[in-house]
Amino acid sequence: MPHMTLVQAINDALKTEMRRDPTVLVMGEDVGVNGGVFRATEGLYQEFGPDRAIDTPLAESGIIGTAIGMALNGLKPVAEIQFDGFLPPAFDQIVSHAARIRWRSRGRFHVPLVIRVPYGGGIRALEHHSEAPEAYYVHTPGLKVVIPSNPYDAKGLLIAAIRDPDPVIFFEPKRLYRAFRQEVPEGDYTVPIGKAHIVREGTDVTVISWGAMVRICLQALDQLEGVSVELVDVRTLAPLDIETVLKSVSKTGRAVIVQEAPRTCSVSSELTALITERLLLHLQAPVVRVTGYDTHIPYLTMEQYYLPDAGRVKKGIEKVLSF
Amino acid sequence: MPQLNIVQAINDALKTEMRRDPTVLVMGEDVGVNGGVFRVTENLYKEFGPDRSIDTPLSEAGIVGTAIGMALNGLKPVAEIQFDGFLSPAFDQIISHAARIRWRSRGRFHVPLVIRAPYGGGIRGPELHSESPEAHYAHTPGLKVVIPSNPYDAKGLLIAAIRDPDPVIYLEPKRLYRAFRAEVPEEDYIVPIGKARVAREGSDVTVIAWGAMMPIALRAAEKMAARNVSVEVIDLRTIVPVDVETVIESVKKTGRVVIVHEAPKTCGFGAELAALVNDKTFEYLKAPIMRVTGPDTIIPQARLEDYYLPDVGRCLRGIERVLNY
Repeated sequence: MPHMTLVQAINDALKTEMRRDPTVLVMGEDVGVNGGVFRATEGLYQEFGPDRAIDTPLAESGIIGTAIGMALNGLKPVAEIQFDGFLPPAFDQIVSHAARIRWRSRGRFHVPLVIRVPYGGGIRALEHHSEAPEAYYVHTPGLKVVIPSNPYDAKGLLIAAIRDPDPVIFFEPKRLYRAFRQEVPEGDYTVPIGKAHIVREGTDVTVISWGAMVRICLQALDQLEGVSVELVDVRTLAPLDIETVLKSVSKTGRAVIVQEAPRTCSVSSELTALITERLLLHLQAPVVRVTGYDTHIPYLTMEQYYLPDAGRVKKGIEKVLSF
Repeated sequence: MPQLNIVQAINDALKTEMRRDPTVLVMGEDVGVNGGVFRVTENLYKEFGPDRSIDTPLSEAGIVGTAIGMALNGLKPVAEIQFDGFLSPAFDQIISHAARIRWRSRGRFHVPLVIRAPYGGGIRGPELHSESPEAHYAHTPGLKVVIPSNPYDAKGLLIAAIRDPDPVIYLEPKRLYRAFRAEVPEEDYIVPIGKARVAREGSDVTVIAWGAMMPIALRAAEKMAARNVSVEVIDLRTIVPVDVETVIESVKKTGRVVIVHEAPKTCGFGAELAALVNDKTFEYLKAPIMRVTGPDTIIPQARLEDYYLPDVGRCLRGIERVLNY
């Protein structure tokens, strides 16, 4: 089985679906001739031509608006927004249109659209290039939000997203694009949307995370001794596989949530609310949140003071254990 | 003391600040000659002229972008976005610029901008006219989010927002615009941003609400009082920065919490409140926190909104549930 990086797995998923289904296409800034700023769409222009690997102007609102029209008319566009911080110019198209058309038409129309976005910090970038905006989209009814943490899931989840009849925001943890390789099957397969994955089983504490933070959590776990930690990679934030989370926390009685995004009104808030709503009597300590701060993620080397690292995750685990 | 409704109180706040400070101005769609779709800016054009009561094109990104430039250059614009659902076209300007300029310039520049938007359901609006998007702005560092529930607070909070050195999203519960009157002082006064108000004292359950959910929460509290249940009702007034101390003090006393909001439940501000309460008062809780919210779908149009918005009955069921746990 080939060993792939996350970016290669995404490229493979796109190629696999574009070969299988002639209505699938990619579009975005520099995704065609150039092959994408992170090389995620490399070779697609050569194989599928300019009608299915479409270079667009630098206009995110135009990319998504056009893609919605395509999706409504029988195509399956996979639109790339080049960086997380460039999603806000397309926000109105996503929130006011893509997310609403099934509802607005009482199910007569639907929008099979995937919006791929490199997301999150860890690459020492400049402003608007390191954001973790998943909470905006999780709070918006009508959208699915998917965040893989490894090459295998990236390919399977992206294929599932392309086959989904409704809009999916597909966030790709950019700091993991080339961080490691993993066995990725060649043919097509899906990882179902809405299913969390237990990365490591344990009995004392449940750590819940997604995207690039899953690896940070694994680093923390490797540094901890004498504690049995269960690590849950939620993989999909909307819909959230709350059953897997609750099953784990009802066993451990302690939960730590780790995310990059600012804390206030984030997915960690929702997870905390759900866990305490359903499992108050199982909890042996308040849920601990290890998150970015309520400020903008700083540039370059300053980001290391912002992003949760193994040390902060360990402190979170120690806090929930010592309550 | 004059009895004003919320629309009149907001108009009064604008007039008061525009008279006091020549850098304050209003701008937006139909806010000038016409006086605003809800009459909030009525007569400002007559008193202050076209330079301080500016009719803009129908372009929300343009309104907020222009207002940011004005604010950076010494003015204090109060920009109106005509309906909650039209905040989205301005989202990039708000999130990527207004909210970041203090941070981006390491404090050299700041944006004293107020964005007023009528918000929420209850008026049988068409699509994009009944949204409750406060969570999007609450999650964005660099913004304050204020939501009054009555005429007195509306005036005092708006004056505080105009005097604030940083951008404030000021959401006005449109279904309460003309719902009732209250005494509003003529002179200028502020209601501080970041301070909740205990609207009704009680000892058995804490209900936390804001905006148009306040009258509903208060009616539910009255009904519970008839059943010998003492409900404390907190009007949050400011979503960010949230007055968590007032909430904690109440929860320590009651041990039971119901949060009521119009917005969809998932990742709504109720989630943050629940998380904060769990974090700070875990050992005081006698029951899980109950969220009474809009369901996770888009708010439906016209009369169907009755099935979407929390009402007194749903609040009562929420309170009963935390009592019977």
